[in-house]
Formats: sequence, C-alpha cells, structure tokens
Amino acid sequence: MKVLMLTWEFPPKITGGLGLACYGIVKALLKKGIEIDLLLPVKEEVYFPLRKEEDADLLPIASPGGEMVHEGIKRKVIKWLEEVPSAYKNRRLELKERIGSERISIDKMLNDLLQILHDGMLFDDVREWTIDAIEIAKHLEFDIIHAHDWLAYPAGMIIKRLSQKPLVTHVHATEFDRAGGPGERRIHDIEYMGLQLADRIVCVSHHTAREITEKYLVDPSKIRVVHNAFLIERIKEKRRLFKEPTVVFVGRITLQKGPDYFIEIARKVLEKTKNVRFVMAGRGDMERMVMERVASWGLGTKFLFSGFLSREEVAKLFSTADIFVMPSVSEPFGIAALEAMSMGAIAIVAKNSGVAEITKYPYKVDFWDIDKMAEIIIDLINNPEKMEELSKKSMEEASSLKWENQVEKLISVYSELISR
Amino acid sequence: MIYVIFCFHVHQPFRLKHYTLFEIGKNLNYFDDELNERIFRRASEKCYLPMNELLLNHLRRFEGAFKISFSITGTFVEQAYLYRPEVMDSFKTIAREGGAEFIGETYYHSLSCIFDEEEFIQQVRLHSEMLEREFGIRPRTFRNTELVYSNRISDLITEIPEFRIILLEGTERILKENSPLYVRRSHNYEHILLFRHYRLSDDIAFRFSDERWPEYPLTAEKFAKWVADLSLSEREGRNLYLLLYVDYETFGEHQWKETGIFEFMKKLPDFLFKNKHISFAWPSDVLETLNYEPEVLSVPFPVSWADTERDLSAWLSNPLQWNAMKTYFEILKKVKEKRKMELMETARKLSSSDLYYYMCIKYFADGDVHKYFSPYERPEDAYIYFMHVLTDLEKRIEEE
Repeated sequence: MKVLMLTWEFPPKITGGLGLACYGIVKALLKKGIEIDLLLPVKEEVYFPLRKEEDADLLPIASPGGEMVHEGIKRKVIKWLEEVPSAYKNRRLELKERIGSERISIDKMLNDLLQILHDGMLFDDVREWTIDAIEIAKHLEFDIIHAHDWLAYPAGMIIKRLSQKPLVTHVHATEFDRAGGPGERRIHDIEYMGLQLADRIVCVSHHTAREITEKYLVDPSKIRVVHNAFLIERIKEKRRLFKEPTVVFVGRITLQKGPDYFIEIARKVLEKTKNVRFVMAGRGDMERMVMERVASWGLGTKFLFSGFLSREEVAKLFSTADIFVMPSVSEPFGIAALEAMSMGAIAIVAKNSGVAEITKYPYKVDFWDIDKMAEIIIDLINNPEKMEELSKKSMEEASSLKWENQVEKLISVYSELISR
Repeated sequence: MIYVIFCFHVHQPFRLKHYTLFEIGKNLNYFDDELNERIFRRASEKCYLPMNELLLNHLRRFEGAFKISFSITGTFVEQAYLYRPEVMDSFKTIAREGGAEFIGETYYHSLSCIFDEEEFIQQVRLHSEMLEREFGIRPRTFRNTELVYSNRISDLITEIPEFRIILLEGTERILKENSPLYVRRSHNYEHILLFRHYRLSDDIAFRFSDERWPEYPLTAEKFAKWVADLSLSEREGRNLYLLLYVDYETFGEHQWKETGIFEFMKKLPDFLFKNKHISFAWPSDVLETLNYEPEVLSVPFPVSWADTERDLSAWLSNPLQWNAMKTYFEILKKVKEKRKMELMETARKLSSSDLYYYMCIKYFADGDVHKYFSPYERPEDAYIYFMHVLTDLEKRIEEE
C-alpha cells in the first residue's frame, strides 16, 4: 500500500502540533510496511519517497530552530459568519455547487481554488505549493491521498480528481479553533470544500468531529476519530532549573491557547505561595500584551518569559517542569501535553481538549476556571509526594499512548477505501 | 557677558548578552563582552580619540580661554581600560592641561535616585572617588543620570557639600516662558541650578546633518551669530549662561565625520571669540561670575532630557521597565544585606539606565532613537534577557 501524503509541517520544519503528529504518523506507518511519498512545501520541486522507518529522520530541509510559518499572516477577522448557521447556509450551498459535482471541470475547480489563494504571504505560499504538488503528483503512483489540515486540502482535492484515488483529509485544527470563532473566510471556504470532497475525514478528537459536523455540515458517517500519540525519542533525565516547583506554558501566545488565563492563574498562585516559578514559552500576537500585564503585577523573577525556543529547547524546558498548564480556549488535540507528560510534568489541560478524551492522569478543567487551576497547583506544591507520584504516572501514561496503535486505525481507513 | 559652557556626556554601558533561560544558575558572565568591545573600539576611533585631540589643540591654542567640561561615567572608564587604554591617556592629558572641568554623577549612570536613595549617594561617592583617583579632581558640579532632577535630588546631594551646582534640562515644563540662560537657586537654597539650552544643544546633536532642517547646513559662523543674538533681550547687564550639553558621540558617531561636524567644532571658538561679549566657562565658573541674585525654582516632579516628554518615560513608562527596575533594586538590597560583596560590582552594572531604555516601547520619532541605541530587535527581548540575569543573580545571593 502506498500513500501520497501532503503536509505543511514536518520535522525539522515545525511550528506546532501538526508537524509533530505527522512525524509520528509517518514513522509508525513506515514501520508497518506502508510506503509513503511525502509532499512538503519546499522551494525545490521535489517529493520524498519514504520506505523505511529511518527515512523519516533524513529529510533534507535545512531550517534550524524552526521557522514561525504562521506568524506572518495578519488575519482579518471577518464578521460574516457570526450568525451561523443561516447566513452561512446559502454560502455553503453555493460552494457545494462549485465543488460538488463531476460536471465541473478540473480546470475550473483549480481556477476557483487558486482564486481563493491570493493576497497574503501565507496564501501566496499555499498557492505556489498547490501548483507544485499537483505537478509532482502527476508523475507518481499511489493508492490513497492523505492531506493534513487546510493548507494541504487544495492540492489534495485536485489530485483526487486527477488521479481518481480516494482522499483522506486529516483535521488537526479548524479555522474556528485558530481564530477563536469565525476566522478568515477564505480558509473556511477551503476547509469546507476539502471536507465535503473527502472520502474519509480523520479527526484528532471527538470534540473536533462534533465541531465539523455542526459547523461544516459534514456527513458524520465519513468521520473517523484517531487520537494523537506522542513519539518518545528518549526518556530524558529530569533536571531542575529552579529549586521551586516550576509551572510552564508552552505554545503560541495567541487567543486560542489561553495565555491570558495562564497569567491569571500565576497571579492567583503567587498570592498564596512564593515557592513556585512560572515560565511562559512561545511567541505570538498577544505576547506584548501578556508580558506587560504580568510585569504590571510586579511579580519580579517569579514569572519569566523564555523568548523563542527551538524544538530541543522546548524538550529541555519540559524536563525542568513540574506542572504543564494548557488552558486552551480551543484545542483539537494538544500534543504538547503528551510531550510534557512524557518528560514527567503533570498536565492541567482544558476539559474540551482532544487529549483530555484519551488520558486519565491530567487534571481536566474548564479553560476559564482560573480558581480551580490555581487551587490544583497550590495543592500540588503543598504535597510533594503527590506531585512525585503523579509525575511518574503521567510519564507512564504518555509512553503507553503509542503511534503504533493509533496508525492501525488509519490503516483500516485506508483499506476500507481501497477495497471499495 | 554670555558664557558658553560646553559639557560632553561620555558614557558606555555594559550591555547584556542574550542570556537564555537555561543559563540561569550556570553562567555568571552576563555581559556581551564582544559587542561592548566592538562598540567601544569603534567609538574610540570615530569619536573619542579624534575629538579629544581636537579639543586639546583648542586648549593649547587659546591658553585657558577655551573651556570645556565632561561628565564621564565609571562604566566608561572601566571599558576604556579594558578595550582602549589610549582613550584614558588622552582624557588624562586634557585633565592635566587644566582645560576641563569634570562633573560628578552616579558611577553606573543609574536611576537609583528613584528606587534606592542610599544606593544613589553611594554611587555618587564612588564616582567622585573615581574622578579623584583618575584625574585628581574633586567635582563641584553635579548632574544626575540623563539630567533627571527634582527637589529631592538637591536635598539628597546636600549630603556631599562639595557640590554647589546642579545641571538640569531647560525644559518649559519647569521654566515656563522663562529663559534657560539665567541660573536659579534650588528650593532649599543649597545649589545653583544651571540649565541645558536644549534648542541650541540639539541643533548640534540632532539637527546638524538633517537636510530637511531649514537651517541646514549649520556653519560655525551661523551658530556664533545665534549665540551672540541671545544677549539682545538682556538690558540690565546680567550674565547669561549658555549650557551646551551633548552626547560626546555626537562628534563622529551620531554625526559622521563626513557631515563636517569636526570642521564645525574646529572653527567655532574663532567665531565666538570675535564677539568680545562671549567667552567660554566651566559650570563651576558660575559661582564666581554670577552678578545677580537668582530666583528660587521648585521642581516637585522629576524632569529629564530624554524624548519629547522630558520626563522619566524613556526608562519607566511601561510595566516591563517598572518590574525590571523595581525587582533589580530589591535584589541589590539583598546583595547588601547578605554581604555578597563579590557580586556587588556585577550587580551594580545592572543599574545602568541604558538597560531599561532598551525595554522602551514607544513609537513615532522617539521610538526610532531608542531603536538606534538598542542592541536588541525588540524591547521584549531586552526584558526577557534582563530578567533571566536577575534570576541568576538572585539565585547566587541565596546560595550559602
């Protein structure tokens, strides 16, 4: 079985969970003997034929430290979707006509898609990649197409029409998650089209599955849920940076990730105890606002910002962390929680996150419940034995969630479609 | 008589390196030695050495009629010894020739007066000791970092009775419509207040090479005429004091050699001397030449020479700066309490106001000036690295 896989992120070019998840999936599929031709947004017109497990680590993309691909776009928040569903329904019908039937020529469809992809750094990049990917795919043989997130949907849709092979779209996040509500209209359009045209849709959580059913009116029978796992390269020694218990936030400092809740939690905890350190890692459009607010509380050196961290440095930070907090407003999965747990950090995650659906040991709290999260942290700080025990259990749990098990589910999705 | 009082601000801070979170507890070297050396050596070649030579020539040629003053910080002197000792030799030569007044201030160019008054006086004493050691001079004139002044500064400085004169910014915020050319008395009658003439100072420091400025190009002749014109409004024969106070790096660094700034300074004394009512003076000459009783001036809130606001906002307008400075002075107190004297020098270098200036988030014209002087891409980075360094320092204090 051979899969044509399209993703915007892959190590070493990584900005978030998407790249990590794709890496885990690819590695595990290769181990099971599935062959993969990987298409990535690189400058050169190339594809990556991956045949053995080790091949996943040999991608020649020179991008040390990782680039912040998403940081470049300034999204216009468009209000037109606010009255969902009535206002969107007509729009969706219109879109459905544009993609829905075989009567529309491939050229027309490509034209429509490329028209959406214009004007904006990221859109222009996606457009360029879409054209390249289609060209390369014309020369490749494969049984199935697997496209990750909206950036890969345009190419996936056209390649499906050209090759007549089944298309699996994989939803790691939707624009609703990223924007914290209705976001960029063009991305919504692409997501809608991609999901409608897909033969199967893989969601990283039940929460996401429900969301696309409601918001994009996707036929539930097409959806399969495959939760993420975390690939543990090596268990690292815990090393302390501070003698006090250390609480970390790792992620883009944007509305979606709830950085403003994290700082409020820190403030509450520090009112009760000074025996703690908070570290916030990441960049994003809320960085200055968050930083200024924390500084205005005069928390001194109790609350530090790390600045930009590479993948290795993130791992290093997790290894110094006792508690990882993920108060995301919207978190389709939240692979960082598994990464943190695998390094022995106790996770406190938003109740509605994907990772909460499959784990036992993380504390699961409403993302807005600052009091509750502060209470949990204070309780842990005051009970070192409890902290130690939970740390061990978290580590065990993260390592029990293996990609090998998860990709079995993917393979059955593939088989089902191929034998159809 | 119009007295032209030149004062040059000579300073370099110890800039911090990009000190990461993971260096905390592991690395006591906070400073970007390479960057500091590069900047110092560049400024030495472009400014300190050629400008000192130019001034020395004037001093010798005019035999005592040409006078200048310097405010040299302790961190500058340390860096001169580290990176370019010839610069120290050349300042010492000027001092030996007797042509310059050296002015007192905080050793580290700090804003300690705001958070820790005891530390403030200690740093001023350290600086006076340095001047005596290096140049054999005990200062009689005081100027605070960035000309920050309020009544409180005068009160504090009375602890060191040698200081008779304080320099400050001649801003409308305190002078209203009154001229900066007349000195005043401090609210407590302890000090003579001498005001920086910011318009003429900035004509040299900022506008000299600005081609969009209607007065461009500024010639020595034109400038001398402006100075002479200042006396037109004085009918009672009172002496006028024109304090031209600029960054020393104006000469050759901010204004490149190609702009003609050195030629300007070369010719200026000749044009000024053509008018027999103009002569050069040191700040402390005010005490001997004053021929009227100055009015008292009360300054209840701090003023400075920075940015368009002329207040503390360049160093303390955003929460990042406030948290950094407040936390710093708390930690400095702990260094003293725990008597960690081996950490004292390093700790005090972190008091330099420049480090907080880099954290300034202001836009428009001032933001540009901040960016020009900052070694960081973003003010957030200046804050992040500074706080990492403070965390390390704090850890070291707590170690037994």
